[in-house]
Amino acid sequence: MSTSANHPAAFASPAAGAAVKAHSARIPWYVWTGVLAITSSSIGGAWDVSWHRSIGRDTFWTPAHMAIQACGVLAGVICVWLIAQATLGHDSELKAASVNVFGLRAPLGIFLAGWGCVAVLTSAPFDNWWHNAYGLDVKIVSPPHALLILGLRGISTGVMFLILAAMNRAAENDEITFKRLQRLLLYVGGLAVVGQMFFVQEYTWDVELHQAAAYIAMGIGLPLFFALFWQASRSRWAATSTSIVYTVFIIAEILILPLFPAQPKLGPVYNTVTHMVPAKFPILIVAPALALDLLWQRVKNWKPWQIALLSGFVFIAVLTAVEWPFAKFLLSDASKNRFFGTIYFQYNSRADGADRLRQWFHPDHGIVLYTGLLKAAVFASISTWIGLLFGRWMRGVQR
Amino acid sequence: MKRWLALVFTLALNVPAYAHIGSKDVYEEVKAGPYKLFVTIRPPNVIPGVAALEVRSSGAPVRSISITPTPLTGEASKHPPTSDAMKSSTADPAFFTGSLWLMASGSWQVHFDIDGSAGKASTSVPVAAMPLSVLPMERPLGILLALLGVLLVVGMVGIAAAAVGQSRLNPGVAPGPSQRRRAVAASAITLAVTLLLVYGGYTWWNAEAIAYAGDIYHPLSLTPILRGNTLDLKIGQYDDARHTFKSRSNDDLLPDHGHVMHLYAIRQPGMDAVFHLHPAVASDQRLRMTLPSMPPGTYRLYADIVHANGFPETLTADLIVPANVPPAPLAAEDASAMPPALSQGELGTTYKLPDGYTMVWDRPQDLSANTASAFRFRLLDSAGQPAADTRPYLGMAGHAAFVKTDGTVFAHTHPEGSASMQAMMLANGGSGEMADIGTMGGMDMNSGGAQPIAPVVEFPYGFPSPGRYRIFIQMKHASTVETGVFDAEVR
Repeated sequence: MSTSANHPAAFASPAAGAAVKAHSARIPWYVWTGVLAITSSSIGGAWDVSWHRSIGRDTFWTPAHMAIQACGVLAGVICVWLIAQATLGHDSELKAASVNVFGLRAPLGIFLAGWGCVAVLTSAPFDNWWHNAYGLDVKIVSPPHALLILGLRGISTGVMFLILAAMNRAAENDEITFKRLQRLLLYVGGLAVVGQMFFVQEYTWDVELHQAAAYIAMGIGLPLFFALFWQASRSRWAATSTSIVYTVFIIAEILILPLFPAQPKLGPVYNTVTHMVPAKFPILIVAPALALDLLWQRVKNWKPWQIALLSGFVFIAVLTAVEWPFAKFLLSDASKNRFFGTIYFQYNSRADGADRLRQWFHPDHGIVLYTGLLKAAVFASISTWIGLLFGRWMRGVQR
Repeated sequence: MKRWLALVFTLALNVPAYAHIGSKDVYEEVKAGPYKLFVTIRPPNVIPGVAALEVRSSGAPVRSISITPTPLTGEASKHPPTSDAMKSSTADPAFFTGSLWLMASGSWQVHFDIDGSAGKASTSVPVAAMPLSVLPMERPLGILLALLGVLLVVGMVGIAAAAVGQSRLNPGVAPGPSQRRRAVAASAITLAVTLLLVYGGYTWWNAEAIAYAGDIYHPLSLTPILRGNTLDLKIGQYDDARHTFKSRSNDDLLPDHGHVMHLYAIRQPGMDAVFHLHPAVASDQRLRMTLPSMPPGTYRLYADIVHANGFPETLTADLIVPANVPPAPLAAEDASAMPPALSQGELGTTYKLPDGYTMVWDRPQDLSANTASAFRFRLLDSAGQPAADTRPYLGMAGHAAFVKTDGTVFAHTHPEGSASMQAMMLANGGSGEMADIGTMGGMDMNSGGAQPIAPVVEFPYGFPSPGRYRIFIQMKHASTVETGVFDAEVR
């Protein structure tokens, strides 16, 4: 393979104008590999949670764990290869489009992904010790798991920057490559939204959706990403697109996972499980995302703080207006089918628990609810503001 | 951090173990139809965790054994998870090993489904699961994690500098002085933020460790009150922080061998006086008994109780018996012995009893820690012949207490094994009441002790750690309860 075939337009310097045209619209293998790595860890994560809810017992080598580990391996391969090429190789285009960290050269995203790999690697022996010291996975959010999630996020952010830098370079003179990379960026952004919703899932369980805490959690976690992807991807429909990725991902999980038989291999068993238990139905974040996209198309010339302030309130208002009644539907008999998935309960779900009884878990009312939602809107505004600023900065990333 | 380390250190040194003290492993000899199994269950020190199981079969040949853990009582006891097959040893087809995940603290049972030459059979063995200790981190792992941690912090600083100083430059353009300045500032800020995050993680870790340490099992507290020769025992919860004791109702205690409490009193430090006593319920809040005549001194009390859910506990306390306690006789079902003090050297395998009888220990050649074996004792009459008038004592051929001389281990066991009889009955479909006791193997409650039994008793047990142990064995002949005393140096 020639050098230019290895490093097509996306990674060429503006000086190499001829090469840009000749090889336009080609996405290098390592970008695809990075996207594959993140897809693998997203699927692995969802699979692993289902595994713990259906089978319970696991080893280092469950398919779900291997899908997560594959992310680290694939990311590791592209990191080592690109750092070696950019540092020791003779590829001037790649060298030009890379940054220098302690004498090593590579695109910024590669260093971020590499950092993520080291974090994932560190979390493995740490987690193993944690299990021996404090017991096997009792909590999803433990220090070693936080490090693992941070590492996976590092890889995902790294791949995002890898795409972003190439996309920003192609923005000026290569429409086709730009569009392709933009779509990839939005897809990866959608998986990041999946990750974000995963992180807040302990607050957004369907029986908890009449608690202000659910909206506060989403208000903190989501607008930042939507604003960031809007700015960074330059797409008018960034929030909608990424939230659609999340929605499709979770619905696919609900439709696919229960096709596979599974039995609990751990006691205490409070509920008979015969198939893999999928996630709860996705939160209808598509609605507030669409509202934000429509809003942002009209106010893009406002000051960031003005956009942020309005966006936070719009986000929470639309989310509450849509999800509040929808949550009622999820607790009704009408949702008890394979699509909405409210027929699936994990093996250790007690018969007298709110989930099995389909009852609200400590719902908020009156002043507690309204001040909670107000808080959520303020957090959502701050979250949007941070996303806008960082997203604007990301638009300038070239390497 | 120091406080935390001290806590870990204390916990690592002082490991209680519910049913007994410092002896968490369950050794049980069970009969399942034509099959006879010697079961060893080694529960983990942390919960949730994995218990290791060993089974040696005798009697009819066994082809396969599958094991299932369920809580002993309650809703979850009705929904077992899928069972696991035990692995049989290629060298010894009668030896099986397996492992089980115990996911919650409390009273569990392991159900054994056996298949062999005589068809299918099943049985259950109770096991109590409790977090017992916190594992300290080994130095090499600590160093490795610290190095990786430093790499992550330094790496993030370098990445932040590159992001701010170089990433937004057009390809090929070298960073100027202003970019370099900004890169330095970004490095400093990132270093500060990352160190703050590390500190946050460290605080989180400490909080988790302290919360876990709070879940570590501590037996209920026992408070003895001696007035004259009346001993009152209160069971409750001692609050270390407030130095207060809160009494607890004793209405959930199950009688084990006809008594709600089996109390061993062993004089310290010589272990030269031992009493096996049975206080009775006096009120909702206390148990009471008349203390028999005891040589004055400080006694270590070990009180075995079983809760209604089958969870057994050994409570401990110290009792000072003064010289002027009014004398009283030993109750009919109580037992005592006055062996030579520990300082007078190791006792042999033959123990002369006060009435001319002798108890003999068929001591194995090798006594090593964590090895399951059956400890066999024989009762001989004054002519040195097997005692023909041997009777069951409290419904069993004998009772044994294995006590480490440093006080860290106490295990009161029976011929079936170290699990509580009440828990055994709950595990095998009994109600946990004494009416069912006659159905248990090795038990002879129904005969009322009228018929003589073989003057031999075997206790399945394994010493949990190396060191010096004193073993107290109770057997009965005619109406006399004998206590034989033996010493064991365990490798």
